[in-house]
Amino acid sequence: MPTPQPAKRELLKGTLDMLILKTLTVQPMHGYAIALHIERFSGEVLSIEQGSLYPALERLLKKGLVTAKWGDSPTGRRARYYTITAAGRRHLGEEISSFDQVLLAIAGVMKRG
Amino acid sequence: MSFLASLRHRLRVLLRPGAYQRELEEETRFHLAQEASRQGAARPGLSAEAARLEARRRYGNVTGIDEARRQMAGLGLFEMVRQDVRFALRSFLGTPGFTAVAVLTLAIGIGGTTAIFSAVNALLLRPLPFRDPERLMMVSMTTPAEPDRPASDNMVWSYPKFTVFRDAQTSFQDLAVTTDFQVTLTGGGEAERVNIEYVGGRYLPTLGVQPALGRNFLPEEDRNPGGPKVVLLSDALWQRRYNADPRVLGQILDVGGEPFTIVGVLPPGFKGISGRSDIMVPVLSGSAEDINQAWSHSYYVVARLKPGVSPAQATAEARLLGTRVDAAYPHPEVKDRHWGATAKPLDSKRVDPVIRRSLLVLLGAVGLVLLIACANVANLFLVRASGRRREIAVRLAVGAGRGRLIRQLLTESVLISVVGGAASLVLAWGGVRVLATINPASALRTQRLEGLGVVNFSTIHLDPTAFGFAAAITLLTGLVFGLIPALSSTRPALTAELKEGSAAAPSHRLLRGFNSRSVLAAIEIALALVLLAGSGLMLRSLDHLLRVDPGFNPDRVLTLRLNSPPTFARDSLPGFYDRMLERLAAIPGVTGATLADCPPLSGGCSGTVIAFRDRPPAQPGTEPSIGVYWVTPQWTATLGVPLLRGRMFTAADRAGAPKVVVVNEAAAKAFWPGQDPIGKPVSVGQGGFWNDTARVVGVVGNVRFGTVDTDPVPDAFLSYYQSPRGRMMVFLRTAGDPLGVAGPARRIIRDLAPDIPVYDIRTLESRTGDSMSYARFSTLLLVLFAGVALALATLGTYGVVSFAVAQRTRELGIRIALGATRGSVTRLVVGQGIGIALAGGTVGLLAAFGATRVLRSLLFNVAPSDPLTFAGIAALLVLAVAAASWLPARRATGIQPTEALRDG
Repeated sequence: MPTPQPAKRELLKGTLDMLILKTLTVQPMHGYAIALHIERFSGEVLSIEQGSLYPALERLLKKGLVTAKWGDSPTGRRARYYTITAAGRRHLGEEISSFDQVLLAIAGVMKRG
Repeated sequence: MSFLASLRHRLRVLLRPGAYQRELEEETRFHLAQEASRQGAARPGLSAEAARLEARRRYGNVTGIDEARRQMAGLGLFEMVRQDVRFALRSFLGTPGFTAVAVLTLAIGIGGTTAIFSAVNALLLRPLPFRDPERLMMVSMTTPAEPDRPASDNMVWSYPKFTVFRDAQTSFQDLAVTTDFQVTLTGGGEAERVNIEYVGGRYLPTLGVQPALGRNFLPEEDRNPGGPKVVLLSDALWQRRYNADPRVLGQILDVGGEPFTIVGVLPPGFKGISGRSDIMVPVLSGSAEDINQAWSHSYYVVARLKPGVSPAQATAEARLLGTRVDAAYPHPEVKDRHWGATAKPLDSKRVDPVIRRSLLVLLGAVGLVLLIACANVANLFLVRASGRRREIAVRLAVGAGRGRLIRQLLTESVLISVVGGAASLVLAWGGVRVLATINPASALRTQRLEGLGVVNFSTIHLDPTAFGFAAAITLLTGLVFGLIPALSSTRPALTAELKEGSAAAPSHRLLRGFNSRSVLAAIEIALALVLLAGSGLMLRSLDHLLRVDPGFNPDRVLTLRLNSPPTFARDSLPGFYDRMLERLAAIPGVTGATLADCPPLSGGCSGTVIAFRDRPPAQPGTEPSIGVYWVTPQWTATLGVPLLRGRMFTAADRAGAPKVVVVNEAAAKAFWPGQDPIGKPVSVGQGGFWNDTARVVGVVGNVRFGTVDTDPVPDAFLSYYQSPRGRMMVFLRTAGDPLGVAGPARRIIRDLAPDIPVYDIRTLESRTGDSMSYARFSTLLLVLFAGVALALATLGTYGVVSFAVAQRTRELGIRIALGATRGSVTRLVVGQGIGIALAGGTVGLLAAFGATRVLRSLLFNVAPSDPLTFAGIAALLVLAVAAASWLPARRATGIQPTEALRDG
């Protein structure tokens, strides 16, 4: 029996990349930790299918915005740790500022309405 | 930075796709395990199985996400190709006959093309092995047409004329003379015959070469004739004779009986532009007497352009300076016979034009074979595709994209061509080994071919360029022969194919497929015909060459060369040679022994002019020319040359006795038409016979001293007793194997004169064979290509006709049932083959008439449109097509109407 789900918000296109990069500025993490981090800090509003992180991570790897390396997790199992690159940080900065502009613009429209 | 990280990641995925795939799987397992244990911890009482399911639910569609991920990582394409390759391999393994024929056909086409390309690359394309070879030029003299030879822009220089040019020119930073010759080394080892280059002091800097050991020639060694006697050794000679001893510098080496000081060793592999010199000495180490001869032309001039000077500017300057050289040394006899100078890129002189042309012809021929092979394999694929038509139609119907299917079919054809390409390397390797054994020193030089010795057949090998070439044509052929069947068999007209019994649906598509196969077969025939015509002409030409009577009998004759040592006085030579001949003739098995200065079919040796003392003297410079040869009395008997009139020399024709000459038939006809030349007084411009009058005592048959394909010219023979000569060749006629007497002969000569080098011991047959070996070889190759082409084209026709019979089984069955006779069914089937042959044959004949014109300069006594050849190949073609159609026709007449109608 599927348990009823709280209403989930669709992510805006491209925001997932930004969320992942922002998360990785804290410290290098494995994919599962990234998923938990995003869930926790969005108050589960932005809860996403955990798996959908991975195609996004693959895209970031291909662009050279993150790198991946195998290491030992606290439980002793091998896990794949992602680290943000300098280019990743630059990219994140640009994303955030353009995101802020969009938010401001939306807020402006909403106020008038 | 991001670029580097990105590149590293992409490379990892690309190079180790399997490993990366496993990493992704492990990462997914890790994620699911972590989530499951978190769910288990958060909700006690949850079963492990339920926790696992919950983890998967929260993860999403595992398969879908993995797929998206692989696509994103670039593994998707890889996977697809792998699928296609696996599928193709399976289907090829299921049809081993088809696969073997296709692979073999392609291997022959690609391998042959690669081998010939290697030769073209080595002989025509690869940069000369010198520094900045494109800046090197060859400066030559130009001569106007003379009565006995055409104008030339290839004339070598005399040293005095060269100095006029050198001192005035401004285009070149370095230039130097060079000429190559043979010389005997003695002292510090065995007497040895080696190749030598006499060079100017700036020779090595011009070519951009530095001695590996010691030094180059010094300016003072290049200043005046009679200069210091110094010598540079080739690396090979240094290794061989001195065991690579570095203390060789300063040692004395006897070069042609004179002491030379060794001053350096050349870098490994460098043997001058002659490609074979073992030692180099300054040209000015010779005596002033030889070097100051303004009309002794024997030097090539190589030159390196100054930076910023174009080859065209240098050529213009050379032409200008040519008039200055001509003014300094005007023609001594004829006033307005002006010589000049010109310069051409050294690269343009690399091989003889005949070799260049024949190589290009061979490349074109093998390219045609490759095209035919492609057409043949395309045909095979078309037949195969029609067998799979229903499979393809089903796949299209259930939604496979046409692009995906084409990619699948192209994967198959490229796969086959890659396997064929790999197999072809075996053939190419073998072919290149054979090509490299063509000995330029014998096969080419005896034909009096031009070209730099440094560019020769032994430099042919499979290098990275050849591998790249093979890989490129492999992929190209895979795409070319794959595209046609792939496009035509996926054309989306499905419904007919899905119906049961495709033979009942003779749709336009069936017809079109059938037609494209016929067209391919016709193209094959047309191409094969062009090759057949070319090789037929070359065969006829070779046949004519082989039929030429060289004027002597080359069977069972041993030849060896020897040099008289410089310590021998000229007058003592005849006595020495007499003793030697006497002992050689006494060897058991030797039936005749003679000496001559020059072997037949060697390109000729010496030539001069003749004057008739019973006629008014001719204008100086207009005397007729004549070849001169030094022989002993036994020459005619030993070589089997007929004595036509008068007598041969005798032992009495010695120094002091009245001088006598023997002439050949051509001389008798040219100089004494309708008269008896015996007793006529003549003077011959060589061997001390110019200031005296000699009597003609005999006329012998024409012997071709030049090449087989040049007509005999007037020749005169001198008795070596009356005109002693140092360098002679020994000819021994034997009863049995001529090489069997080589050992005893060598011992006898060593016994008589230990310091005379004996070298170049070979049968006369192998020498004369040499003079045609290149013609023989290129003809053989062309015939081989044509044979392969004919076989492939016949196979192609056979395939098309027999496939058509299989397709028309029901129709033919009905015809037979309605009373068609065996004859009419045979006619029907064979008629299709003949139709293809007629179409291909007509096109091919027209193309051949045009194409064989490129052979004109390679043919001997055969016109490029020789009717006999063309009639012959047309007959051959009809025969081949008849054979190719006969088997399917037999099958067709054996069709049982009842079976045909039931099976349909």
